[in-house]
Amino acid sequence: MLVARDLVRRYGDLTAVDGVSFHIDPGETFGLLGPNGAGKTTTISMAAGLIPADSGSVTVAGEPMGPGEVHVKRHIGLVPQDLAIYPELTARENLMFFGRLQGLRGQPLSRRIDEVLEIIALTDRAKDPTKEYSGGMKRRLNIAIGLLHEPTLLILDEPTVGVDPQSRNAILESVEALSVGGMAVLYTTHYMEEAERLCDRIAIIDSGRIQAEGTRSELITLTGGVDHIRLAGAGQSAATQAALRALPAVEQVAADGHTLTLTVRDAPTAVAGIVTTATGAGMTLSEVEITRPDLESVFLHLTGKALRD
Amino acid sequence: MRQLWTMTASDLRQRVRDRSVIIFALVVPLALMFVFNLTLGGAADQSLDPVTVAVSAPADDTLAPILIASLTQVDGVDVTVDEVSADEARDRARSGTAELGVVIPEGFGDAVRQGEETVVAVTEGDGSGLESDILLTVMQGVLAQLSAGAVTAAAGAQSGVPAEDLGALAQQAATQAAGLNLTEGEAANEQLSIAGALVAGQAGLFLLFTVGFGVLGLIAEREQGTLARLRSMPMRPGLIVTAKGLVSFILGFVATGVLLTAGSIFFGVSFGSPVAVAVLIVCAVAAATSLMFIIARAARTAEQASALQTILALVLAISGGAFFPLTATGALDTVLGLNPIAAFTRGLGITSGGGGLGDIGVPVAIMLTFAVVGLAASRLVPDRGRDL
Ligand SMILES: Nc1ncnc2c1ncn2[C@@H]1O[C@H](COP(=O)(O)OP(=O)(O)O)[C@@H](O)[C@H]1O
Ligand SMILES: [Mg+2]
Repeated sequence: MLVARDLVRRYGDLTAVDGVSFHIDPGETFGLLGPNGAGKTTTISMAAGLIPADSGSVTVAGEPMGPGEVHVKRHIGLVPQDLAIYPELTARENLMFFGRLQGLRGQPLSRRIDEVLEIIALTDRAKDPTKEYSGGMKRRLNIAIGLLHEPTLLILDEPTVGVDPQSRNAILESVEALSVGGMAVLYTTHYMEEAERLCDRIAIIDSGRIQAEGTRSELITLTGGVDHIRLAGAGQSAATQAALRALPAVEQVAADGHTLTLTVRDAPTAVAGIVTTATGAGMTLSEVEITRPDLESVFLHLTGKALRD
Repeated sequence: MRQLWTMTASDLRQRVRDRSVIIFALVVPLALMFVFNLTLGGAADQSLDPVTVAVSAPADDTLAPILIASLTQVDGVDVTVDEVSADEARDRARSGTAELGVVIPEGFGDAVRQGEETVVAVTEGDGSGLESDILLTVMQGVLAQLSAGAVTAAAGAQSGVPAEDLGALAQQAATQAAGLNLTEGEAANEQLSIAGALVAGQAGLFLLFTVGFGVLGLIAEREQGTLARLRSMPMRPGLIVTAKGLVSFILGFVATGVLLTAGSIFFGVSFGSPVAVAVLIVCAVAAATSLMFIIARAARTAEQASALQTILALVLAISGGAFFPLTATGALDTVLGLNPIAAFTRGLGITSGGGGLGDIGVPVAIMLTFAVVGLAASRLVPDRGRDL
């Protein structure tokens, strides 16, 4: 859906984006995770054709993307980091305005506006100027405008910044729903939990460079970190331990009284088999706990810095 | 084409809705016309004594010279300005060796430009009379105009103005007008009557602010994030800038047209052939709009843009004779003649004297040249915001 190759963008002496490459498949949610100033916004500004790259290239749906590429831009919906809405206009007027610029008009546009207003739960307030909205409402409208023309690639730049936990959850849920609906999503954030929850693949970006890229578990193996599953309950024996050790995902089993601690690869995938095996080998479980290294530790490992300061 | 109109119409709708344009492009200049007509008009039919003013001004202040120059340019009063220290200014007024002592405070220009309060201290000598009263009113008018200009520029660049500020300004201008007697002035130069020059000058000055509501809106859009969204839309990037230029153009044309019409109704001025006047307005608006493109490229923030706009507008307006009729000679006259505001005023002088389309070739050429050169120059200015 999108292929970025060796993107470079300089501001004076500063190289904001320094050789960034990645690709997003149709229907995939791809995350750019990095701290403030890492180069996320600059990267997606090139991906969305807002600014030209100093070198490198972007293609969307197989066609080259750039500031003058009018046709390709129809494929993308952009949700900028800043609230890109007009305060004097109502929600409906904002949607109408950007919908017309996208080339929609008449009945189909009105119908689609009703639809997205419903999705973001703003139907009741659609006729109020957006300057009277709460932060969460503005964020929701900001996202809705990006969705209006049903793009095949939605680009969201830190859409939950400055939002209360409830609205944030609503936003994350709607992004999840979109990817289920088959839309490709490029999602930037400096919140590790959001990247973990939403993204099929994640690129960790810092100082304008992609430090590592892969699925969550692929990234975590980079730290050499492994998952642990702790099983507590009655009836564990040497036989239980042997049965568990025989599982391919299990690397190590340590016993401590009624508790077994397993070192495993990809705990969420392995846990079902482990529970079945342990129960089958005579153990009655009262507690199962998974602990895994997170992306925070990956970032620390790669850059020597904390993700958030 | 549809997208261009969508953007232009939406912008116009927003500007009308937040009322900033109506207040700054129409109400404030009209109020100022009244103030100035009253102050300048009163002086014309009396014989007045020469006056000496002792002025203290901070060195390197950008706006203080404007205030001082305004004193020497008052029609009908022969004014000598002595630049002295602050203490001396007061002493000379008290001792009677000057009719007025004026102390312009440190940081005056910056305060005015940022719309902050600043106090110009004036000491009136014992023997002072009508002449110094006239000078005082002129100074007040100029101060009101400077701060109105600054706030207008800020409003234009930031789109969305504190309503209290607008009201206060308009009111201030209006109350200053109360209590003075309206007297129709005599012709200040061979072209326009005092009232005519005043109306034309105010229209010209505020045109330089009004056009900011379009093009300089680009900077506000950059800051509020909507520019990024616009640039992601399936349309040529140049369309966004063109729409802003069109908004500037429409607002400038309508506001100037209304001001000239209202001015001619209230002050009994006739500007002559409507077609020729319309052509002059179109050319002046084109020149003013091209200036905005330069500012939009050069400024990083809305604040920088409004500061730049204020300075350029005041310089052009003053040298174009919008504050007070300038009587320059020789080389200076030629330079001033290239000023689009001066050309606009001259053009209106020609039409009001009965000239038609065929007679306004020179001012039209000056304004159009300014517009073309300005537009070309704006392409050469380094794009400090890096995305216009
Ligand atoms: N228009 C610009 N002019 C100068 N520097 C910029 C500009 N935009 C971004 N930068 C710089 O580029 C770097 C990356 O910025 P950005 O892409 O916004 O990071 P992020 O979105 O990850 O927070 C930062 O150091 C930022 O200051
Ligand atoms: Mg950013």
